[in-house]
Amino acid sequence: MAETKQVIVSVKRQAGPKEGARWEEFSLRWRPSMNVIICLRDIAENPVTRGGQKTTPISYDSNCLEEICGSCAMLINGRARMACSALVDQLEQPIRIAPMSKFPLVRDLAVDRQFMFESLKRVKAWIPIDGTYNLGEGPRVSPEIQEKGYPLSNCISCGNCLEVCPQVNEHNQFVGAAIISQVRLFNMHPTGAMNKSERLAALMGPGGIQECANAQNCVHACPKGIPLTESIAEVNRDAWKQALLGWLAG
Amino acid sequence: MSSTTTQPDTSYLLRKLHSFTGLLPVGAFLAEHFWSNSSALVSRAKYDATSQELQTIPFRLIVEWGGIFLPMLFHGGYGIYIWLRGKSNVSAYPWVGNWLYVTQRYTGLIAFAYIGWHLYTERWLTHGTSTYESVAMDMQNPWYLTFFVVGVLASSFHLGVGIWNFLCKWGLAATVRAQQAAGQFGALVGVAFSVVGILIILSFRFDWHPFSAYLPPTK
Repeated sequence: MAETKQVIVSVKRQAGPKEGARWEEFSLRWRPSMNVIICLRDIAENPVTRGGQKTTPISYDSNCLEEICGSCAMLINGRARMACSALVDQLEQPIRIAPMSKFPLVRDLAVDRQFMFESLKRVKAWIPIDGTYNLGEGPRVSPEIQEKGYPLSNCISCGNCLEVCPQVNEHNQFVGAAIISQVRLFNMHPTGAMNKSERLAALMGPGGIQECANAQNCVHACPKGIPLTESIAEVNRDAWKQALLGWLAG
Repeated sequence: MSSTTTQPDTSYLLRKLHSFTGLLPVGAFLAEHFWSNSSALVSRAKYDATSQELQTIPFRLIVEWGGIFLPMLFHGGYGIYIWLRGKSNVSAYPWVGNWLYVTQRYTGLIAFAYIGWHLYTERWLTHGTSTYESVAMDMQNPWYLTFFVVGVLASSFHLGVGIWNFLCKWGLAATVRAQQAAGQFGALVGVAFSVVGILIILSFRFDWHPFSAYLPPTK
């Protein structure tokens, strides 16, 4: 009988933000269409290392398993990507799995991406539709804007664009491409445009759009194929017009 | 809404000023500098006449300091500050844009150091009266010559990539197609400046004047 095919996985373990890190290697039974999340589940089922040592299940975030919830971003063979769409058969082994490095670590592969959500709040990444009284119907959205906006609305806040950005680091509070692209989305919506200048002003604050240095890694790393560099350029144009011409033209 | 909410942060304005000064006046000065120095490709006398012309412009010190030295000092100094606030990751993500991000920083530093030295040797030591003869003398030193070549290539590359960055970062080239075109334009500028700069160096090094045929024949 043929020997069962094995998958070798190496996981960076860390019990907490202040604990020491170590790598643990696992040998798993190969199955068709296996992805990295399946590997992590298999480890949880039988948390024994390749060397036969008993260990603990690995902490990680994941939910939808179809690249839509944005929670399972991690470093797989050194590159930021979604674990659910990282297929074992397409990866070099041993598959090295580490947590994202630009967000505070919680435990093992789980990180805290609160920074992104705070940034989204800072730029008012929503469209206000409620008031203390009936605001009535909003203006219609032209098919052209719908078409431009749809790809931007696919953002899943996974944080891959921040992870790969050389300008996002401990010295720099750059909000990152995803947030700038959301500003573009909400500013192009006719109702959202009512808060356009506030959003742009927030993006011209500390860690704002000025920190982008055009390395363009974000657009390569985005699992949803969002035209992030186009969004940054568009928002940049609106921002400098507001900053430099606003006080002249009003 | 109150007007204060639309006021940008100082870091925003400095960053925009950094981007803008790279093109105007620093980039524009590089173009002017190469243009003027191209006179050497015609003849020694033409070069000396051109430098005499530039050395005797009215308000020279104000133009030099306000239009050239201070903007360069700001662009270079703030550029180093920007560099320190970035963290390169080109080994993990070796994409073209990421390589340009890194090389833009190194070429900027090389160009900044070169320009400082170039100003010292050709402007300060000559008390602002350099001639074809004095520059040609410097070019005989192989170390000077090497530094000239490196400086010209670094400056040209930095300007070429800088133009691409400028067009993207001011939203003048936003779509993928426009940014590709901006990149091609930047590359063209970088190559053109490199070629012209090297030709000027060759002219001084080998007393070579390929456009001397433009001069009226001497009797």
